[in-house]
Amino acid sequence: MNLFDSLMNELQQTLITDDRWKSLLGGLGNTVLIAVFAILLGVLIGLIVAVVRVSAASSKGKPVRNKFSHGVLIFFDKLCGVYLSIIRGTPIVVQVMIMYFGILALTSLNGVQVAIISFGINSGAYVAEIFRAGILSVDKGQMEAGRSLGLSYPKSMTLIVLPQAVKNILPSLVNEFIALFKETSIVGYVSIIDLTMAANLIRSRTYQAFTPLIIIAIVYWVCVTIMTQLMRILERRLAKSDNR
Amino acid sequence: MITVKNLVKNFGKNNVLDGIDEQIEQGEKVVIIGPSGSGKSTFLRCLNLLETPTGGEIWFEGKQINTPKANIDQIRRKMGMVFQHFNLFPHLTVLGNITLAPVKLGLQSREEANKNAMRLLERISLADKAEVYPGQLSGGQKQRIAIVRALAMNPDVMLFDEPTSALDPEMVGEVLELMKELARDGMTMVVVTHEMGFAREVGTRVLFMDEGKILEQNTPAEFFANPKNQRTQDFLSKVLL
Repeated sequence: MNLFDSLMNELQQTLITDDRWKSLLGGLGNTVLIAVFAILLGVLIGLIVAVVRVSAASSKGKPVRNKFSHGVLIFFDKLCGVYLSIIRGTPIVVQVMIMYFGILALTSLNGVQVAIISFGINSGAYVAEIFRAGILSVDKGQMEAGRSLGLSYPKSMTLIVLPQAVKNILPSLVNEFIALFKETSIVGYVSIIDLTMAANLIRSRTYQAFTPLIIIAIVYWVCVTIMTQLMRILERRLAKSDNR
Repeated sequence: MITVKNLVKNFGKNNVLDGIDEQIEQGEKVVIIGPSGSGKSTFLRCLNLLETPTGGEIWFEGKQINTPKANIDQIRRKMGMVFQHFNLFPHLTVLGNITLAPVKLGLQSREEANKNAMRLLERISLADKAEVYPGQLSGGQKQRIAIVRALAMNPDVMLFDEPTSALDPEMVGEVLELMKELARDGMTMVVVTHEMGFAREVGTRVLFMDEGKILEQNTPAEFFANPKNQRTQDFLSKVLL
């Protein structure tokens, strides 16, 4: 048997036999599902954490008008600090396993939902730093202009600073999504069948390691390349609107 | 209208304002001049609490404003501020810039605010720029719109922090012209500037600041003709060539 025939044979076994391409496709579906919902959760968490941290930092050295709300802010700022430290100080695999076998075993959530929550919480820590940098990148004069017009700090933040910050960080957010998309390949640890796990299962049936892994590597690469291209287009359009 | 008592501002160990007492009456056009680093911008920014005073009292329309009890957002509605670098909101159109605060603070409906903004824009002959973003405007246009944005809140006093310092020379005139118009309409104004011509022509009082103190003040005519303090004389001899 020549090389070409053996390759075709391997492809046949990996993809066609028992409709195995379907299980790969299902795995890809789970990967996409986890990544998309996790980034949405991550952006939500990250935004809140970043705003809390920036607000707390900017309130330092200023006179306190409302002691209670200032106390609440400082409390949440400390809480966010603990959250960031834990999430960034431990491996994602460990976090996912703790969530799956520990905390969420007590609930009726399925594996994919657990993965979405774990990755969302994890991603939130990184997105928070992106948002924080984005908020700090907006000129200080913007907040001052808002405040000088009588807008409160929260109003100036949401109406003036955040819209500009979000625009600045969109490319970084897409980057974070790409990283997250690839990181989801570890969910096999908690027996969720994503793209990587699907390939593993096929490997255990066919005893061919190389072909399924190469195939999913290509699938990951194609997905990431498409997203990178989309980010380039986005960046170009944002650059254009800068001098609108 | 504005009363300042023994105002002190320190940045760390740096003593920027060193006990300032000042009284600004309604309708006055107070021009503050002085070398850079003299604390004049800090003084102005303390008046609407963009800088928090380290010590002393600031009173506005009969109420002390630098106490925890004062609602500073409410007070700032009545104190318009114009910045050296305009600080227009780049993500909003000119119309959006002007109407943001009145609408979001619930002072005017969207229609009222738009109408009011268009009236103000017509006054400065920039009505055709209503739907344009700040990035497409010249410096002079930006600053005039920043002034109009502050006016849209119907303030009782306008604070100007070196409004022409960041402008190309040929743009300075149009901004000063608008400020003169405001002065003629009776607006109370506090202006930090290096424009001596403006100080002489529009000011009702000139304050000279150096090293965190007001060293000398007088009517413009007296001030420029007859400076008494040695440092005022030195400063004026350098800027009035």
